[in-house]
Amino acid sequence: MSIRKNKLAKWMAMQTAAATPKDKHDIAEMRVYPVREPASGRSYTIVRLRSQSGLVGWGEAGRVSAADVEKARSRVVGRPATAYAVTSTDTPLDAAINCAMLDITGKAVSAPVYRVLGGPTRFKARALAALSGATDSELGASMNALAKAGFQAFHVPIPGITWRNQGQAFDKAARARMDGLRSAAPANANFVLRGNGTLMAGDAAAVASSLERFHLLWFDEPCPATNLRTIKKIAEETVTPLGFGRDIATPSLYQDLLREGIVDILRPSIERDSITRIRQIAAMAETYYVAVAPNHDGGPIATAAALQLAASLPNFFIQAVPWPQNDRDRRMRTDLVAEPIETVRDGFLSLPAKPGLGITVNESALEKYKETAA
Amino acid sequence: MKRRHFLGSALAAGALTPRAKSADLCGCSLFQAFAAPADNPAWEPVSSGVKITGMKVFGVSLTPDSDRPYVFVKLETNKGVVGWGEGTLEGKAGAVIACIEDFREFLIGKDPMQVEHHWQSMYVHSFYRAGPVMGSAISGIDQALWDIRGKVLGMPVYKLLGGPTDPRGVRGYYHAQAATKEQLQRVRESAMKLGVTCFKSGIPGYYEWIETHEKIDAAIRRLQLLREGLGSDIDIGVDFHAKTSPSVASIIVKEVEPLKLLFIEEPCPPENVAAMARVARRSTTPIATGERLVAHYSCRELIEMGVIDILQTDINHVGGITALWKVGQMAALSGVSMAPHACEGPIGGLATVHVDAATSNFLVQEICSGVEPQMKEKVWEEWLGFPAMRMVNGRFPLPEKPGLGFDLDEKALAKYPFGGTKPMARVFHTDGSVAEW
Repeated sequence: MSIRKNKLAKWMAMQTAAATPKDKHDIAEMRVYPVREPASGRSYTIVRLRSQSGLVGWGEAGRVSAADVEKARSRVVGRPATAYAVTSTDTPLDAAINCAMLDITGKAVSAPVYRVLGGPTRFKARALAALSGATDSELGASMNALAKAGFQAFHVPIPGITWRNQGQAFDKAARARMDGLRSAAPANANFVLRGNGTLMAGDAAAVASSLERFHLLWFDEPCPATNLRTIKKIAEETVTPLGFGRDIATPSLYQDLLREGIVDILRPSIERDSITRIRQIAAMAETYYVAVAPNHDGGPIATAAALQLAASLPNFFIQAVPWPQNDRDRRMRTDLVAEPIETVRDGFLSLPAKPGLGITVNESALEKYKETAA
Repeated sequence: MKRRHFLGSALAAGALTPRAKSADLCGCSLFQAFAAPADNPAWEPVSSGVKITGMKVFGVSLTPDSDRPYVFVKLETNKGVVGWGEGTLEGKAGAVIACIEDFREFLIGKDPMQVEHHWQSMYVHSFYRAGPVMGSAISGIDQALWDIRGKVLGMPVYKLLGGPTDPRGVRGYYHAQAATKEQLQRVRESAMKLGVTCFKSGIPGYYEWIETHEKIDAAIRRLQLLREGLGSDIDIGVDFHAKTSPSVASIIVKEVEPLKLLFIEEPCPPENVAAMARVARRSTTPIATGERLVAHYSCRELIEMGVIDILQTDINHVGGITALWKVGQMAALSGVSMAPHACEGPIGGLATVHVDAATSNFLVQEICSGVEPQMKEKVWEEWLGFPAMRMVNGRFPLPEKPGLGFDLDEKALAKYPFGGTKPMARVFHTDGSVAEW
């Protein structure tokens, strides 16, 4: 027994001595590159982390301030890359940093991020593109171009409102828009109607109800996700599925939406909420039999992140992919990331198989498309 | 339509529709006819190349009449890497072993890296969902898959999960068995030397659904004694072990409020969330529960009704690392902490530490043992080569080797052969009626 106690004491001393080990994948450096699409003006910030071990990881955020960058840098440098789930910088760079740490972790173990996370749960990911244009005919033209590019699911903006409370004319305009698109679309096309938080709950409920038999995939953000009782009225009056998330910055609000039974698909943002945070939200959504379809209005690095996320979730449904109309913008995206991660075939994106995010970022393109002060 | 034509068209449809296997003659084929085949070649580009080639299941009884033989699973792969997991279910060892065997055909040939996908398939395709037997079987398999994943990728599991929150390890607690103030003061002295900051104890005896003032007073006095003996700088959890009804628990929980306990555990049985809510609403003392729950689904109501402060799901029953991680993530979004239950063998214990180390809302980790190691821990050390689940400065150190962080020679288990399933304790009230323990 005393030998055993001796051994135990030795082992304890050893453990105590090794209390704060240095990890070879500790983050050594963080760089940020603000870039902007030449025609659309869509801008995003690309984050590059490098580990002590020399691995480079990439992530993407929206616009950030210089103060945010300094704060994030001071909190992430020195952290082990694997601590991606428990590192917070309390800045809008969190999602980008989470993604870049996962990229490094994947590269450190020579596996795609989805494999690190226990996937793949699927071998391809359904894609969704937003139609652009202000009129029905412009939207129709946009749909034809996107269908040619391989998309089969489309985000459609709701017609603009004239007055605070709308009447029959508005209902007719919404129906005409959807009917026009469906009759022009291939039979396998599907639609998400997007309210963008512009409607009053009463109008939203009326449109959702009126379009029930159209079988939208869902009605996205029919009104702002603020007053739950107001939203509940929509969910009670119609069976058209409802999506919320674009304006939800506090993820715990999803718990309320789910508990109240007023959401059918969760739409966290890949640039704002991070792979880890969305996995957290998705785990909870699973217990309500609710799927996740991340919002994405950024660049191709966020698309890569979204694909890795999609392949790690059991309850992923569809991934929004920004598809600029202008050739120069699309060129920029393929200049930044050489791999065809945004290529859609028969309505689906394919999964990258290379380690980490599975992409190679062209660093000279980051300079070329650098956002300069407006 | 003529009969001949009807048959002809049915056969043609069958030829065009990929169908791995026709279902039994139950009529269920109606629901399965359009299923995509499991062995779709489209998986090839995203598969890891690792394949499960074998599975062994072990019942391990530390004593011949143990009511909780360990159930261990060992999965073997084409790359020579093996993974270990634990699915110990007290009192139901034989059933879990059989349930794991039921998954054998499913597992052989699978890519072990896709643990999330396989978890879903085991759970969803079982059709009859959850239940502690299947939950424990999936737990054992899931842990073994994670062990393989870590070893193939060359990282401890806590790093794959996104940790550590703290490289020094995760805070733990032992059980305080003492019944007198002097005994408790000795426990305190040992704790101070070892850096242990937290203990759990129970309430004495068995309780009917309405109780006498003697029993209620005795329970309250015991909890006061715990606080006096252990001191105010040690956190104390108290396990009611669902021995009490909501009516009796409410009285005790309310009266011990001034003791500022870390938590009251299982103040009533787990089936009825609203009943537990009754207790929770009547006291500010944090309520903990969850060791008997299976899958993250089972925690939803507790979280959404605001009943609990702490979830204690057990990695050997809830569905392994995959499910414990999900419970923790759901809880995090609602401000609920995690204090996972661990009262079985060393594999599940170590697996839990990995999840704890990657969970931002982690509070404290249990181990069913005292400040002085017991016989079972001697056996664990003999198996694993290190004192698994012993704290250092009040924390369980993080296993640093790839996977779950240990090597286990199956020959070492042979010294403790399976003694068969033994029922758990049966206790009765003074009038002979069945009592909860």
